[in-house]
This record gives sequence, structure tokens and C-alpha cells, in this order.
Amino acid sequence: MFDLELKNVTVHYKDIVAINNASLEAKHGEIIGFIGADGAGKSSLMHAIAGVGRFKGEIIYEGTDYHSPKEAERIKENIGLMPQGIGLVLYETLTVGEHLEFFAAIRNLKKNNDFFTYKNKLLQMAGLLHFVDREAGKLSGGMMQKLSLICTLLHRPKLLILDEPTTGVDPLSRMELWEILDDIRSSEGTIILVSTAYMQEAAKMDKILLFDEGEIIAGGSSPELIDSVRKYTYEEVSCDNDKVCFSFDKRSYALYPLAAKYAEPTLDALFFVNALQKKHTLPTMEIGERQSTVTIPKVVMEAKALTKQFGDFVANDHIDMQLQSAQIVGLLGANGAGKTTFIKMLLGLYPIDEGELYLLGKPILSGNDRRELKAQIGYVSQHFALYKEMTVRENLLYFARMHAIGTETALRRIEKYASALGYLQYMDALPGELPLGINQRFSITAALLHEPVILFLDEPTSGVDTIARAQFWQILEMLKVKWGISILITTHYMSEAEYCDRVVLLKEGVKVADEYVDELYRQHPHAKNFEEIFLEYYQ
Amino acid sequence: MRAGVIKAYILKELTELFRTRLIIMVYLMPSMILLLFGYGIRMEVTHARIVILDYDQSHYSQILTSKFEDSIYFDPTVMKIEESKALHLIKQAKADMILIIPSSFEKRLIHGQKTEIGLFVDAAFPTRATTMESYVQGVIFQASTEVGEGKLPKGMITLNSRNLFNQAMRDENAMVPGLIGLVLLVAPAILSALLIVKEKEKGTIFNFYASPIRKHEFIIAKLTPAFLLHSLNIFILFLWATYLFEVPFRGSFALYWFAGEIYILISLGIGMLISIITRSQIAAVVLTVIVTLLPGFLYSGIILPISAMDHESYIMAHLFPVMYYNHILYDTFLIGEGLDSPTNQLYLGILLLYAFILLMLGTLFLKKELR
Repeated sequence: MFDLELKNVTVHYKDIVAINNASLEAKHGEIIGFIGADGAGKSSLMHAIAGVGRFKGEIIYEGTDYHSPKEAERIKENIGLMPQGIGLVLYETLTVGEHLEFFAAIRNLKKNNDFFTYKNKLLQMAGLLHFVDREAGKLSGGMMQKLSLICTLLHRPKLLILDEPTTGVDPLSRMELWEILDDIRSSEGTIILVSTAYMQEAAKMDKILLFDEGEIIAGGSSPELIDSVRKYTYEEVSCDNDKVCFSFDKRSYALYPLAAKYAEPTLDALFFVNALQKKHTLPTMEIGERQSTVTIPKVVMEAKALTKQFGDFVANDHIDMQLQSAQIVGLLGANGAGKTTFIKMLLGLYPIDEGELYLLGKPILSGNDRRELKAQIGYVSQHFALYKEMTVRENLLYFARMHAIGTETALRRIEKYASALGYLQYMDALPGELPLGINQRFSITAALLHEPVILFLDEPTSGVDTIARAQFWQILEMLKVKWGISILITTHYMSEAEYCDRVVLLKEGVKVADEYVDELYRQHPHAKNFEEIFLEYYQ
Repeated sequence: MRAGVIKAYILKELTELFRTRLIIMVYLMPSMILLLFGYGIRMEVTHARIVILDYDQSHYSQILTSKFEDSIYFDPTVMKIEESKALHLIKQAKADMILIIPSSFEKRLIHGQKTEIGLFVDAAFPTRATTMESYVQGVIFQASTEVGEGKLPKGMITLNSRNLFNQAMRDENAMVPGLIGLVLLVAPAILSALLIVKEKEKGTIFNFYASPIRKHEFIIAKLTPAFLLHSLNIFILFLWATYLFEVPFRGSFALYWFAGEIYILISLGIGMLISIITRSQIAAVVLTVIVTLLPGFLYSGIILPISAMDHESYIMAHLFPVMYYNHILYDTFLIGEGLDSPTNQLYLGILLLYAFILLMLGTLFLKKELR
């Protein structure tokens, strides 16, 4: 007998099916992980279970069945929901202590000794005991998430639903959040449903559900899932041309035997294999040669003690950085660490408060110095700056004209990129109708049309599904090799550091690490992956 | 209904209102609207420059001229120039009006014959022109009773009815009570429109969706602080009206207060409904302003008395609560009939019904789910 059961739950918004026929079972004390890209249906399913969104099908919690938010009212005493978004359920102007008071009161909790002991235990676990009088708006992202979590835990829910509690949070806070969850699961016997964008967190879950395009494509424990794709995972080889296979991150995946040794798969492999099984074409992408000839200096960008202040808040504190030709540098850090601010200073979108900047060997002192260099710099912003009312083709033509590229040349190049990056069939669609991964590919085209020497990318992979992310990194690698382009890319996925040549780690506006990737591994021989390396810098 | 839950929510709302400084808006906006409009909109015209061409030069015509000289509303100049030259003065904006007394003025009146006085008004601003015209009629009417010692036939001149309860012809008396009706419709509505949509925009609405709080508990918790804070405005606005604008208060204060509280409930109910259907704060504010400010202004009786409206505008006026409240307001300030008047009783009942329906609709439309 299960404590929580979902039977064929379907959620849709007008015509769009967010999650189709999802079923799951869970027992008290279990942690169930939801893994998948943005828009795969994780949040919709969580909202349905929490009784805050409409759905079709049946959900049974401890013998109480419900089919609508209204019927779910009966079990809301037992539910704790923490929706997606950092500090989403917090009131900026209320202090930590006032939050706990408020959440206790709206849950009608009795203020007895037991309550105070539990409250203090939670504050202790979250490391917020000394911040009781601080306003929520003045906490760091990690602290906000910990506060949200303990506010959700205050009424001892038996069914805890956490929607991406760790996304964008620094590695140390993430580890602490997981420690709290583990403690609660064993001491309170809570069912915990948690979604995450980080594959590494899967190991901490009892059961994992993989979400893809509104469906649960696989379920089981982490070792079980990895075993299920072991027979399709090989060491990297070049694929047979007429048969479908996919290579990424030193491994190749195929449904038929490849002439290579088997390799140890990761959870990412499940998505690749699923795509192969569904016969989704995974187009091999090719970037042609650069059409213009350029001479690229050895050091394309050099920042010396760049500083940016907003009032009292120092967003970037004397940051030095060097970007060499044909190099991919990853700028890593949690939300609010100062990654975007730094890129915006490099681009001249924010004035530089202090420090020196050299682009392609020239000192940048004024806007005029930048103007000549604009033709050699490409930029993709955090929220792809596309015009929603124009089709993909019109968008790209517009960007080409901004760079004064003739219509004929522009159309030829656009066509070439579209077929190379596999979005030719979407040329006449509006960006809003397309998946994030496609938008990301044509955003990068927009930044490449004028064949730049340096490319700045601000969080291009967040929210994009595993396959699209893998393909995106393939494109970047090709650009580096074929064009000798230098790329500065920001990301909060620590694991993506793996694909960079060098990484720079920011923490609260300060640079804490700046190293070649292999050098980092040499310095931390015990670390299994980048998560663990960065954790050491945070501690 | 669990008092503890509601109390916690109210406390949270109040803390937020004070810390986000929204409280300033609660008290600044109503007084500001009243002062801005109270001083800004002037229907009254003083020192209108009137040129009098007296072709009669008789005793009667001099009585008439002196009446204009005694009035603070006019700055008359008696001139002996041709009509066309006088008209030119209006074109040059040196005069607002020209009054022409014909040569046979006295003789015709004595013989009991009708006489016609010519009046040219600068109608660049039509409202101002109408006002000036009615003032002139008033002065002529006054003068004619004196001239004919009450023997002159009536009916030749009628007075504008809007001055009936405003014998002093003071603009403040006509304007300020109407403005209170406008302010108390707009300000509480904007506050309550922000209350729910603010939580939707931020995401904190999940605390309501995902917890066992009941819908009516939530609404009570949201509206109570706004209701209490705005209740104080009933008194503040009263003080501005009676002390600053020196509007007389002839009716019952209890009726003024009670009707005001009901009216605030109506306003809060409108704002809450808007807050429930909108998704962003900006949309909520814009919609609230459109739904409250425009009808509040047009159908309040400030610009045009409801009795002077016809067809569509008459029906429209009856659809919005502002008309009923303003009727009671004008009564308490200027007339003082109070609840003895059956109209006032009926209108108070209609206001109560409005408040009840709006709050019921709010509880009905509010859903504990994402949309």
C-alpha cells in the first residue's frame, strides 16, 4: 500500500499539454526526484499534487482521493509546497523571525514548547539562528531558499513538494539544503517530492522520474536507471553515417553495437538514449569556415581590477581576468555572484567604476573605443533578445542589418547556419512557439552573423534541456576550433565547467578561483567532479 | 473563521504597508486629489471684464450699470464706442463680454413693452461663457425687480437651477462634497487592487493557495487593514472640506460617517475584484483608475447635475455607486434633510446592496489555484 498515488494525471493549459498521463507511487520517508528541462512538465505535476492547479485524473494521499484543487483542500494541512523561484514565497520587508511567526499563524499552530524546540532546530539547521532580525530581502539567495524551506517545514507536512529548491543557489547552500531534507525525511517520515536541474543531486534521491516533453520517460533508482542505458553507451567513436548515433562528452550513444568499448554512463545518457529510441533526429552540426579573414591577437580581452558598485553593494570587486584566443572561459557562480554585471561591464552596458579593460589589445576608455570593436564582438544575453512578433528569419535579417551586412550575404549566411544548426524547418515560425533549445541556437546565429572574434554568452544554457545543451556545447567547441574564436560564457551549472578550457569562479562579487580545468583536477585529486571542487572554494 | 489566522495576515499586511511606505500613498493621495481638484477646478468666474455700451443714458440704465459695478464677479467699464470697435476688444482678449443697452431701454419698460439687451460673450471656454452668461442674467433679474418695483412681468429671465442650493454661488460648496465622493471611490480601490495582485506577481500567493486558509478568511484579512486605514480618510477629508474650503455642514455627521464607511467597502470591493482578475500590478492600477476615476468624475454631479443628464448618461449615472453616495454627501453638507428624506433612505439601501454584492462576487471569483 502506498501513501501517495497518482493515477493518470494530465495537466493542460488551453491547447498545450503540460504533463500527460503521469502516474507515480510513493511511501513515507521517500525522496522522489523529478528531473528534466524547463517545460518538461515537472512544475505542472507538482502544482496538481499540491492542489493549486487543475488536473485530470486521480491523486490519492493516505486514502483521501482528490480530482481538483477544491477537493485537495482536505489534505492541505499535510502539504508543504515550495514553488520554483528564489525567495518566491518570502515577503521582502518581513524579517526571518516574522516569517516564522506568520507561517506558524496561518497554519494555526499551537505555540507550545514542542513548537519552539522544533522552530529553533529548523533555524539551527538552516544556519539562520543569528539572522532572526534580518529582513528577507537582504538575505543571500542561498539563505532565502533555506528560509523558504524551513517556513514550509514549520507545520511538519507529511507531503513535502519542492520545485527546484536548489537552482541558482551556491554549492554550499545546496549541500545544506539537502542535509535538512535528509534529516526531515528520517525524523518526520515525510514524503519528499523534489525537482532539480542538477543531475548530480540524483544520487541523493530514492527514486528518480525523468521528464521529457510532458511525459515521464523513465523511473527508478539512480543505479537502476544507469544500468538501463549501459548497453547503449560507448567510448567516443565517429558514428556510422547511415545509422543514428550521438556523441557527447567523451562518449557515444547508439541503439546498435558500435565498434568501441563500453563506457560508464551518466544520467544524461537516459535523455540521449530516449531521443534515439523516439527516432528524434539528432542532427550533426557543422560550422563552415570563416568567410572573412582576421588576425587575432594572443590576448583578446584583459580586465584589470574591474569594479562595479550599486550604492553600498559591491557587485564586482577588483576582478582580474584574461581571455586568450581560441579559448573557452567559463565564468561560474551562484545567482547574484556578479556574473552578469561583469559581462555587462565588458560590453559597455554598465559603466566601469574602477579598473582597466583591454579588448583586442586596445585600452577601452570611452564609447568611441568600443564602436570600432563592435564588429568583432558577439553577445547573447541571458534572456535571448529576440523580437516575439517577428519570425526567426526576420529576426536574423534584422540582426544582420544592424551589423550592416548586405541582404544577399546575410540571407546566404542565415540559410547556411539554419541548416548547419538544424533549425531550417523553423525559419518562418515565431520564437514564442519554439522550444528554448531552438531559440538558443538561433540566438547564437544572430551573434555570429558578423563573424566576431570574441563571443560573450550570458547563461545561454539555463532552462535548456539536456540534449539541446549538449548540442550547444558541440557548437561552441566547433567555433573555437574552426574560427579560433574566444568565448566567455557564464553558467550556474558547475558541471558545465567540464567543457571549458579555463574557469573563473565568482562568489559574492569576488573572484575565488581562476584556473585551467586540468590544473584544478590536479590540485584536488580527491574530487570526483566539479561540484566537489567548487564546494572546497565555498567552504 | 479562525481569528488567529486572520490576525496574523492582518498583522503581516500592516507591517508590509508601513515598511514598503505604501502607507504614505494611503493618506497622501486622497488629500492631494481633494486639494488639487478643489483649488484647480474653478467653475466660478470673478472679475469678468464686461464692457457696457449704454446707448440709453437713462435712470434705469444707470441702475443696471451700477449693479454690475457692485458685483465682485464683474469689472465693468462703461464706454462710448461703436459696437464693432467693442467687439474688437473681445478679439484682442481685452474684454470677456459686451453688454449693449439699447437707446429706448427706459421708454419701452415704462410702456410695458419687452426690451432686449444685447450680450456678446467670449465663448472660447464654453463652460466659462455659460457661467458668465448666467451671472449676467442674475444681475439683470435683480436690477429688473428693483426698476419695476415688482410690477414687471416675470418669465423673461430664468436662473440656472444649479445655483439653487448654492445661494452664495460659492464654487467650493458645489465642488468639494462631490470630490469626497470621487476620492473615496478611487483611493481605497487602488490600494485593494494592489493587495492580491501584488502577491500574485511576487509569488507569495502560493502561501494562500497551498495552505488550508479559507477564501473568506483571506479576503477579510486583506480588506480589514485597508478598510481601517481608509476610514480615517473620511474624517481627514471632512476637516479639509469644512475648515479649508469652508463648506457648510448642515446634516447629520453620523449619516456622513456611516455612508462613508459603506462607500469605502464598495470601493475596496471593486479594487478586490480587479485584483482577482488581473495578473500584474500595473494592469490592476490602470484598470482601477479607468473604472473608478472616470465614472467617479463624470457621474458624480460635479460637472453636470444628474437631473440635467438625459438618456444614456442618465442610465450610466444610475449604474455607478458614486451618484447615490454623492446625493447623500450633498445632502449632509448643504441641505441637511438626512434620513427623513425617502430618497436618502433608498440610496443608503442601494449602497449597502452594492457593498454586499461586490464582496460576495469577490469570494465567488477568488480561486485557490493557478490560472
